Amino acid sequence: MLQFVIRRIIWTIPVLLLVTFFTFALVRAIPGGPFDFAGDKSLPPAVVKNLEAKYHLNDPMWMQFCSYLIGDAICRPEGSEEGVSSKGVLLGDLGPSFRYRGRTVNDIISTALPISMQLGFLAMLLGIGIGIPAGIIAALKHNTPLDYSATFIAILGVSISNVVLGPFLIWVFALKLGWFPVATWKAEPLFSNIAQQYIAAGEPVPMWVNLIPKPTFDFFHHAVLPVVTLGTGLSAVLARLTRGSLLQVIREDYIRTARAKGLRERAVIVRHALKNSLIPVVTILGPMFAGVLTGTFVVEQIFAIPGLGRHFVTSVGNRDYPVVLGTTLLYAVAIVIANMLVDITYAWLDPRVRLE
Amino acid sequence: MTTLLEVKGLKTYFFTEEGVVQAVNGISYKLDKGELLAIVGESGCGKSVGVMSLIRLIPQPPGKIVAGEVLFEGRDLLQMSDDEIRQVRGNRIAMIFQDPMTSLNPVLTIGFQIMEALQLHLGMDKEQARKRAIELLEMVGIPGAEKRLDDYPHQFSGGMRQRVMIAMGLSCNPQLLIADEPTTALDVTIQAQIVDLVKGLREKIGMAIIWITHDLGVVAGIADRVIVMYAGKIVEEAEVHDLYANPHHPYTLGLLKSIPRLDQGHDEKLIPIEGLPPDLVDLPPGCPFAPRCSYRVDRCTEEDPPTDYVTPLHRVACWRWEDVIADQSKNGGQRV
Repeated sequence: MLQFVIRRIIWTIPVLLLVTFFTFALVRAIPGGPFDFAGDKSLPPAVVKNLEAKYHLNDPMWMQFCSYLIGDAICRPEGSEEGVSSKGVLLGDLGPSFRYRGRTVNDIISTALPISMQLGFLAMLLGIGIGIPAGIIAALKHNTPLDYSATFIAILGVSISNVVLGPFLIWVFALKLGWFPVATWKAEPLFSNIAQQYIAAGEPVPMWVNLIPKPTFDFFHHAVLPVVTLGTGLSAVLARLTRGSLLQVIREDYIRTARAKGLRERAVIVRHALKNSLIPVVTILGPMFAGVLTGTFVVEQIFAIPGLGRHFVTSVGNRDYPVVLGTTLLYAVAIVIANMLVDITYAWLDPRVRLE
Repeated sequence: MTTLLEVKGLKTYFFTEEGVVQAVNGISYKLDKGELLAIVGESGCGKSVGVMSLIRLIPQPPGKIVAGEVLFEGRDLLQMSDDEIRQVRGNRIAMIFQDPMTSLNPVLTIGFQIMEALQLHLGMDKEQARKRAIELLEMVGIPGAEKRLDDYPHQFSGGMRQRVMIAMGLSCNPQLLIADEPTTALDVTIQAQIVDLVKGLREKIGMAIIWITHDLGVVAGIADRVIVMYAGKIVEEAEVHDLYANPHHPYTLGLLKSIPRLDQGHDEKLIPIEGLPPDLVDLPPGCPFAPRCSYRVDRCTEEDPPTDYVTPLHRVACWRWEDVIADQSKNGGQRV
């Protein structure tokens, strides 16, 4: 198993390199540049020139790519050290943002990603917690009113977009009933004393400190509406998939064998059907996790949550090359990790894919 | 001989959108202790549904056992509660299925799958069940049984999986083993091995067997008695040698003519039965075999033939069985 994981990790290196290369090339191929305008005014050509020089945008492409990858110190000729320098992606330096002056991409990710991950994780919990049991119940009560209503609700959940569901929930539960706050995210780090130490020392707070929230009332109170908005769709997808998969498994010959053994219906389902039926569900859980944890634009926008989702979208419009690259790479890494976890889960669920 | 199982007027229908499929349409038979009864017929003639109905393994809905009695050791299985029938399944009556490739759960070890029934019905603990499972695997001829217990079905060949299925079926010493085309999905050489295995085990354990097949060649070697089914009905029943020597129903005759025989001359051709079995949704009146039957007279398409007992052990449902016999003796009869 360890060998399998190591092999998978080695395989991800060329994948991530290719992702970096293509994103690097494509985002620069888009017409326009990062300094075409500031606010709604365009910048004077002289200013643009200086800015481009500062960020080394006038260097040859290969040199820029090289710098991005392994750092300015190695790739750029001696004596051209003016301007912003970066240590390179391989050392974990994603470079400066062109739009948020004075902030690096690492800064942006380390403040925004924990929030997106908290939201995404809670939404996944909700999605799995409701979706999979609902799918199982619907399949076991196949063709009964319970199945029909679960399927109907699931179709609703799949088809109603978050753009509609979010504002609707806000209108009903925040504005009309006043049960929940309208928007924003309130998360204190659980290890606030550690965070304080970093702030006192004038150093940036590392991301893992911000990741785990203090489970306060305020946190959950603010989290309910965005989590429900995001989680409903996920649970609907999972419910439909689980139902379909379980219905298929129940018709398999080995389920008949299990019944012929005289097992109780519960044992037939739990021991013989569930594990088999979860295989396709696990397949989708990986990419779903990766997508949701790295931030969702729509939900974060509606609820004014300062997560990473909006950076995926706005950075492209801003031609903020390092942010585009940084977020894309992060997503790629998340997908790679998620798929690896899926493969490991497969091996546990299905002996046929177990690797020697 | 004492009667182990008596089926009376069993009818199993499937209620589908296309209409009511009369899969099993009033069958009755008896089975003695330790006897091997073969049920033969074409695909879709109700053989499998007929035996699955015995232990109520028919998916409901759409299937439903609409009439009949299944007396097993004196009790009607169809009247039992769900809990009671579960005590019978896998314990007193075990079943093995056609396709060993799909009948074992791919994600559980075969040891787990065998031990499950032992723990459930015989109240064994894990260790006892494991010991017994090893014995069972050795009994069905799986080498290295102790190690193989922790293997998964995909690590076995088709023939070996069917052996595992048989071991599973025999685990609780059933009085009756139902084998639903256990050799159909296997290679011919493996088929012979499985047939020999079951024959041997039957002598050793002494359980009764209902063996379903469409292969009359297999039947000849192992069965005591044969039931021929067509379109959900029993058209003929006889002791095995009697049936081969002296078929009374045109359908049985057709089946026998359509299998190759080693003692047959090279110039004798195999004669297939023309046509297809009827649609079980709207069965025409009269004998279901009439449209394909060379002995057909008007009466056949109007009235259902009654079951005649030619001898106490040989019954047939045909208006013209006497003519069939007459033709047979004219042509020198079938050789056994």
